Amino acid sequence: MAQAAQQAADRWSGGVCPFDAGWRKVMMWWFIVTDGLLFAGFLASYGYARLLSFDWPDQASVFSLRYIAAMTFVLITSSATMATAVHAAREGRMRAAGTFVLATVAGGAIFLGMQAFEWRTLIAEGARLAVNPWGDRAFGAFFFLLTGFHGSHVLTGVIILAVTAIRAARGLSKPDGIEMAGLYWHFVDLVWVFIFTLFYLL
Amino acid sequence: MKTYWTTWAILLVLTVVMLWADAAAIPRPAFVVFMLAAMATKASMIAANFMHLRLERAGIILTVIVGLPVVATLLYVLIAPDAARIHQMMAAALR
Repeated sequence: MAQAAQQAADRWSGGVCPFDAGWRKVMMWWFIVTDGLLFAGFLASYGYARLLSFDWPDQASVFSLRYIAAMTFVLITSSATMATAVHAAREGRMRAAGTFVLATVAGGAIFLGMQAFEWRTLIAEGARLAVNPWGDRAFGAFFFLLTGFHGSHVLTGVIILAVTAIRAARGLSKPDGIEMAGLYWHFVDLVWVFIFTLFYLL
Repeated sequence: MKTYWTTWAILLVLTVVMLWADAAAIPRPAFVVFMLAAMATKASMIAANFMHLRLERAGIILTVIVGLPVVATLLYVLIAPDAARIHQMMAAALR
């Protein structure tokens, strides 16, 4: 009992490894928290614009929600393949890990393609950063801001994962590296959960 | 491995149910509460199972599940009354 209490106290007093995790994982979590705050700021300002608005468009009339749900399906599936890759890497099956990372890259690329098509369709219908045909002009601004920033994160993730897959194929990747890339990818999926609900559905 | 694909299936089911709720004629307050609850459930499952947050030490878990939502909520709650007030002023000016 006393020993357990002493151990707990030691963990909170700093020491060599207070989080009982490697520095890379701790730094990745800190990055996720700070990047999450960036998106929280965007979504809070979006909420502010929604409260101010008199004529916020009905999302179902602007977007095909089934199409957006299909994008969500692709991203969630890519998260599952990424988690499977991390699991395989931890078990030392680096070849299988590389294959699952590749499947994740494919998922990310499909998501980006679908998002590019969505942007193209809306731009063709007259949507711009400051104007759109559906009412409140902040609608266009927040659409491009939120999906654009998220999309840039997806693109970054696809590049990181492609490099990880190549390194895994050459036997250069370590389980830790795949886990860090996975944490970033799941964060991208996590952010989409908020954008999908708050921007497309509410 | 089974946990990941079970999580995947639950996330997909929740997404479909959210789409169904969007199409159904649910009163707005109940709709908003349901959507926020479904969103929080999905986010928690991704963080806990895919990101393995449930296996980390309390220091990391608390930083993420308390720090991030609290600051995000504060960001919105502190500015929302201003937005509502300006909305009312604009509505009054338009009358």
